[in-house]
Amino acid sequence: MQDLLSRPFDENPDLTARRLLLKGHNRDGLPEIAIGLCFLITAFSMWLQVAFQPGSLPYREAALILGVLVPAVGLGSMWAIKKVRRHFLIEQEGYVKLKPPNRKRLVIVGAFSFLIAVAMVVGIYKRALPPASWILAGTGIGGGVLAARAGRLPRYVVGGAIMAATGILVALSRVSLEKGYMILYGSMGILSLLSGCVVLLLFLRRTPEAGE
Amino acid sequence: MSRNIQRLTEIDRIIHEPARLMIVALLAAVEEADFQYLRLATGLTQGNLSTHLSRLAEADYVAIEKTFRGKYPLTICRLTARGKEVLDKYRKVIRTAL
Repeated sequence: MQDLLSRPFDENPDLTARRLLLKGHNRDGLPEIAIGLCFLITAFSMWLQVAFQPGSLPYREAALILGVLVPAVGLGSMWAIKKVRRHFLIEQEGYVKLKPPNRKRLVIVGAFSFLIAVAMVVGIYKRALPPASWILAGTGIGGGVLAARAGRLPRYVVGGAIMAATGILVALSRVSLEKGYMILYGSMGILSLLSGCVVLLLFLRRTPEAGE
Repeated sequence: MSRNIQRLTEIDRIIHEPARLMIVALLAAVEEADFQYLRLATGLTQGNLSTHLSRLAEADYVAIEKTFRGKYPLTICRLTARGKEVLDKYRKVIRTAL
């Protein structure tokens, strides 16, 4: 309420609405739990690459986990969060039907992700990737900035700062790329999962007020 | 500049009120939302939100439908075409005047 009352003219109503929607989306901790699970699965696939010889079955399964399981859990979690909210949390959270996603934006994000994936594959194939420490630091800082910017809430900003710091520390420790990613994603996965569970428990403990 | 400032007098006073503007802006960003969701998102009290929604419904900016999802009573609110039009005009006036 303070947001708009204290500065009614400094931004347009769409930005205010977007901020309120985002706050509502992150209110129950479920998105953090989903992100934590994705990070932990990614860390697990990295661990498989670190612990097993190249060419072995677990090593090859790691690629399958990264290529299939992580995107499936990522996309499936959006659907699952919606279902859980509609079936179990409707009294606490209320009901909202969002507008269908903006197709133009989806195409841009999809094309951008595809280009990055292609650049990575070409880099690996031609052995022209920058040093592992650069990639690790870049992932930590980039992921941290993205988390802080996308989540906006203080806990996301703190999580983003921790991710950036972890990325830099891992980069400075000169470990291999796989080990570095395992540490980075593993620690962020545990942090995100714990934070999401605490937020969810606190949210569930609040007594819901009756709707109109 | 002064002519632009004068356009502020064209502002719709019903949605110019910050709490109502917040409700209308939120409803413009979604297809529909129920009372509880709006209450949590805006941080308004039940009484306050109820009064503002009634005012917006009276002006035909918001359509309110009372229904059930299982045993849970839902008061679903959505922005009407008139509400969208008024919000668009409000945006334009604010943008040009300030």
